[in-house]
Amino acid sequence: MNNILLLEDLPEIRAWMKQLVLQVFPQSLISEAARVHDALELITAVKFDLALVDLGLPDGSGVDVVAALRESQPEAQSVVVTIHDDDDHLFPALQAGAFGYLLKEQARELISEQLKRMSQGEPPLSPSIARRVISHFASQSRPQERPQNMPHVSLTDRENEVLLRVAKGFTLPEIGVQLNLSRHTIADYVKQIYRKLNVSSRAEAALEAQRLGLFRR
Amino acid sequence: MQPSALATLIRIVLAIWLIAIVTSAQADPIVINQVSSVNSADIHFPEAIPAKPVHLPDDWSQSRPKYDGSVWYRASFDRPAGTRPDELLAAYIDRACTNLEVHLNGHRIYSGGRMTEPLTRNCGYSHLVTLPAAWLLPQGNMLDIQLVGSALQRVGARQRSGGLSEIVIGPQAELAREHGSHLLWSIESVELISLALLILGGFMLGLWWVNRGETSLLYFGLLLLGWALMSVRVWWRDLPLDTATVEFIGSCAYPLLAAFAVQFMLSHAGLRSRFIEAGLIVQCLLMPLTLMMGGPTRIFLVANAWYSLLSLEVFATIALYLTVTWRHRRLNFKSMLLILTCTSVVMVIEMAVQLQLMPLPRLPLTHFALPVFFLAVGSRLLQVFAHALRSAEANRSSLEDRVKEVTSEIERNFAQLSELRVEQVTEKERKRIAADLHDDLGAKLLTIVHTSESERISTLAREALEEMRLSVRGLTGKPVRLADALADWRAETVLRLGQANIEADWKGPAEEVDHLLPARAYVQTTRILREAVSNIIKHSGASHCKVRSSVGERDFGLLVQDNGKGIPMELDGKLDRGHGMSSMKHRAKQLAGQCLVESGPGYGTVIRLTLPL
Repeated sequence: MNNILLLEDLPEIRAWMKQLVLQVFPQSLISEAARVHDALELITAVKFDLALVDLGLPDGSGVDVVAALRESQPEAQSVVVTIHDDDDHLFPALQAGAFGYLLKEQARELISEQLKRMSQGEPPLSPSIARRVISHFASQSRPQERPQNMPHVSLTDRENEVLLRVAKGFTLPEIGVQLNLSRHTIADYVKQIYRKLNVSSRAEAALEAQRLGLFRR
Repeated sequence: MQPSALATLIRIVLAIWLIAIVTSAQADPIVINQVSSVNSADIHFPEAIPAKPVHLPDDWSQSRPKYDGSVWYRASFDRPAGTRPDELLAAYIDRACTNLEVHLNGHRIYSGGRMTEPLTRNCGYSHLVTLPAAWLLPQGNMLDIQLVGSALQRVGARQRSGGLSEIVIGPQAELAREHGSHLLWSIESVELISLALLILGGFMLGLWWVNRGETSLLYFGLLLLGWALMSVRVWWRDLPLDTATVEFIGSCAYPLLAAFAVQFMLSHAGLRSRFIEAGLIVQCLLMPLTLMMGGPTRIFLVANAWYSLLSLEVFATIALYLTVTWRHRRLNFKSMLLILTCTSVVMVIEMAVQLQLMPLPRLPLTHFALPVFFLAVGSRLLQVFAHALRSAEANRSSLEDRVKEVTSEIERNFAQLSELRVEQVTEKERKRIAADLHDDLGAKLLTIVHTSESERISTLAREALEEMRLSVRGLTGKPVRLADALADWRAETVLRLGQANIEADWKGPAEEVDHLLPARAYVQTTRILREAVSNIIKHSGASHCKVRSSVGERDFGLLVQDNGKGIPMELDGKLDRGHGMSSMKHRAKQLAGQCLVESGPGYGTVIRLTLPL
């Protein structure tokens, strides 16, 4: 992790986050931004490996930054850092391409642990997020809502199995034991689910834009 | 053909009448139809001028065309056979136009009224002249009649041109009956009908006055009133105007009446046209002009040309009216067809009479029959109007019902709407408060969490932040499926216990549950459970934690059991604050449920939470 974007409007929290990130990734170069506008400018100039994005910002939503980063730098990992733990706030960010989320008020040790795991490819997945993902893909698979020109993204049986168990309240290690899968394999499934969520959401958004006449053929 | 046809007709009529007389009275009236006549204005029959023999009835337009003024007729007769000597005799004259005086054997015995202009106009009246017995001879009586009249050219209709009918001499009682019947049908009935027309016309105008939209009522009312006024000259003999003036005014009334009739039918059929209206007005002005240009000697010619035109206009309107009613309202069509056809027939007959294609009828056909049809149309209109009134009344009451219905519906909707509005406003306000709490209070608490030197303060702040988030969720939340809530609680509890290296054993209800949990209950239960797990992690020193959830008919339960050292007695007695037992119990009570804590040193702790669904 070399180049890290840190988007946070509160100076104290930003300082605290910076310190924390430097602890986890001592070699990294941190670009700070307090507003969406600044973050979008940084994205055009610097190539990032990781972006820590706050959602509620004075001039907009961090979701836009997540989407822009996903568009211009697909290799970069976006992580939402937020005070909101409800999926109403988190899900749009995940759809836009965020790879995971951190809750700001958690203890320093917990956050650094989660950050480390995410950077190693083990994103978190809560039951409520899992339920949202399930209903998202359920509506996608209805043929009448999916025209031919829309790329069809569907989950594999195993991915579905993992999602369903998460939704029922089982933790990822528990599911690993139940399905006799390694920790890495489970993490790969979760990553794949996030990726597919993003791809299918983007297709959906493009379709919606076409429907509203933003693109004219 | 006319005189002979007329004579034939009158002979037939008289024959029937004679049969009636003979069968009833056994008397033989004498019908005089051979007289001698002289054109003279003398006060006596001019003996000096040679008289010409004339056949009665004498129509001046045939016997003395263009003659205008006074004519003397002389008839001689014997006392009718079969009459008793003391029986009162009379002469009956069916028609004497315009006026007459009668002399018997040189004595003036009867006058119809003024013999000089303005004349008494007796054209519609019959005359019964009682023959005084004193001057009546058994044989060779001289009956002299002076008749003043107008040439056909100077009047508007044949009915008012000069002429004398046959003279019938017979018993006064018999002839009086005939005279009375003639008066009844040709004069009194016209008076009665005029009166009826006046009343109905006034009524129509009244109806129109309160229903200005119904212009057909206006025109019909005007037509009736106009006709009633025009009929005046049939029975009003002593108009204080000379013949030329009366004829002029009378002729000028027709375009007006025709205009009313046309406008009535057009507006009743819903076919009004400015063009036609303008034409009718122009016509009303044009006719007097042409009459004046023609002068008093061409009144008949000009007026009848106009009558033909007006009749054609009325016929065309009738055809148009019937076509339209046939297309739109079959209901009205039949009666109107009947009435208007009869009207047309009468008009055609009248035209034929004026053009001398038919003999003069004994009765004033136009003045008698047409108003009857008018009355029929009027009663039909009233019927339609009454029907409309009834259906309007019915409509009104159904409308009232509908209005009531709609009003109550609107009220209901309004109540719902305002309820909805209140809900929307409340929801918006909740969201605003939630956002404010997050942005403002949340940010400050967060700063304390991460910047405080003291671990205790950051823990407190973290807990406060957690509380705030739960409260906000309670503020804005929708009901949660119990199955989803259990999944959330399980994930969190197992994760936390796992991080604290405590073995977690969670078993949920065996079957699927589809109950809904209010947001508040979800939030409070989350807090209680979180508190319980925190206690286990912080204070119990347990290595194992068992959680069981069960869903019953009306409630659900959570059991949290650990194998730790339990809550010390003295602390339990005071309802230990550090362990948050009191707040757990308080929250359960708020949800109308209960939270029981069983604990003993060395036996661990059991928390039983029961909440209603």
